[in-house]
Amino acid sequence: MQKWMTRFLLISLLSLFFFSCKSYQIENAKKRENGVATFDNRYFSNPETDYVYKAHIEVYGNQLSGIFIAKRMNDTLHRVVFTTDFGNKLLDFELSENDFKVNYIMEDLNRKIIVNTLRDDFRLLLKTRHTVTDVFENEDYVIYKSADKKRFNYFFESKKDNRLMKLVNASKSKEKIIFGFESKNSIFAEHIAIQHKNIKLKIELNQISN
Amino acid sequence: MKRSVFLGLLLIMSLTIFAQEQKMSASEISVFKATIEKETKNIKSLKTDFIQYKHLDFLSKDIETSGKMYFKQPNLLNWQYTKPYQYSIVFKNNKVYINDQGNKSTVDANSKMFEKINKLIVGSVSGNMFDDKEFAIAYFKNKDAYIAKLTPKTTTIKKYIKQVDLYFPMDEATVSQVKLIEPSGDFTRIVFKNKQINAKVDDSVFTN
Repeated sequence: MQKWMTRFLLISLLSLFFFSCKSYQIENAKKRENGVATFDNRYFSNPETDYVYKAHIEVYGNQLSGIFIAKRMNDTLHRVVFTTDFGNKLLDFELSENDFKVNYIMEDLNRKIIVNTLRDDFRLLLKTRHTVTDVFENEDYVIYKSADKKRFNYFFESKKDNRLMKLVNASKSKEKIIFGFESKNSIFAEHIAIQHKNIKLKIELNQISN
Repeated sequence: MKRSVFLGLLLIMSLTIFAQEQKMSASEISVFKATIEKETKNIKSLKTDFIQYKHLDFLSKDIETSGKMYFKQPNLLNWQYTKPYQYSIVFKNNKVYINDQGNKSTVDANSKMFEKINKLIVGSVSGNMFDDKEFAIAYFKNKDAYIAKLTPKTTTIKKYIKQVDLYFPMDEATVSQVKLIEPSGDFTRIVFKNKQINAKVDDSVFTN
């Protein structure tokens, strides 16, 4: 009995180990000759547009509601503000690929883990140009892979109408954050859902027609 | 010659400034305050539409949301956004009821918090915030309205609000517009329309 138990445990552990070491792969996707150097996420790329969304945040069972505002200030810099429904600011960030400035953050939110998580999410959501290392494709999507520090970003563009539908931020082996986009055209997303895999955080954004 | 043109310009400019907004005299202030205070005492219920403009300097356009507000003495309040989305917050029986596009939640609140929020809401619609120890107040007027400018005294409030401007139209004793200015200079402006004082407000309004 003891022996059987040990063996069972060992097998479980081993399979768990192998399973978790399996590198992150997209189902049915084949690598294709890479002829592209960059991928542009155009959803927050127009400096003339005020991007205004109603936001719902679900964090460890708590619900937060408010308004998410983003604007492209120049080629590299975006401004992001999150307010309550009543208009008072909860946070105000300026961010580019390498720079980050907190113009304002409400005291209760001023925790390193919150600031860093939101900074990284917003940075990835807003950044326009990404350097492509590999290109994959399956039946529905062309998938552009880009390196992001220790992680990788996969941009799923629909073959049907060339719209960015999904963005997956993954480590070598696992999905970490999934961004889902719903859009009527390739330059504006009406609905955005940001789902974290390793923390209980979900952000949903719905366009407010201003 | 040049000098006198310059002086003339300066004079015109300062005149325009005066025409826009000028300080109220001590006697004007006391009459004004008495009127408002008297009026507020009679408020049993309030019903009004509002439009909220969120101004952020870096945006090309203010963000506009609008809705309705209902209040009934002593402590029933419904602040309800209807455009461009549905969101309402009801204060009742020491509880805060939130309905966020059908997503409902309830928060417990202590009575002290209630008292403060009631005072703030009723104060900003009626304008009776004058004796508050938390604000220093300066009084102005332009051709259309009296303006009370409130500056917070406590550091807790100062962190969120630099100044609150209350606009009272000359012919009304209640507020037509509230402007909440943040330390950064960005502000929220709320304009009240179709205001009805002491109109019948059914209790069922305070359920969301």
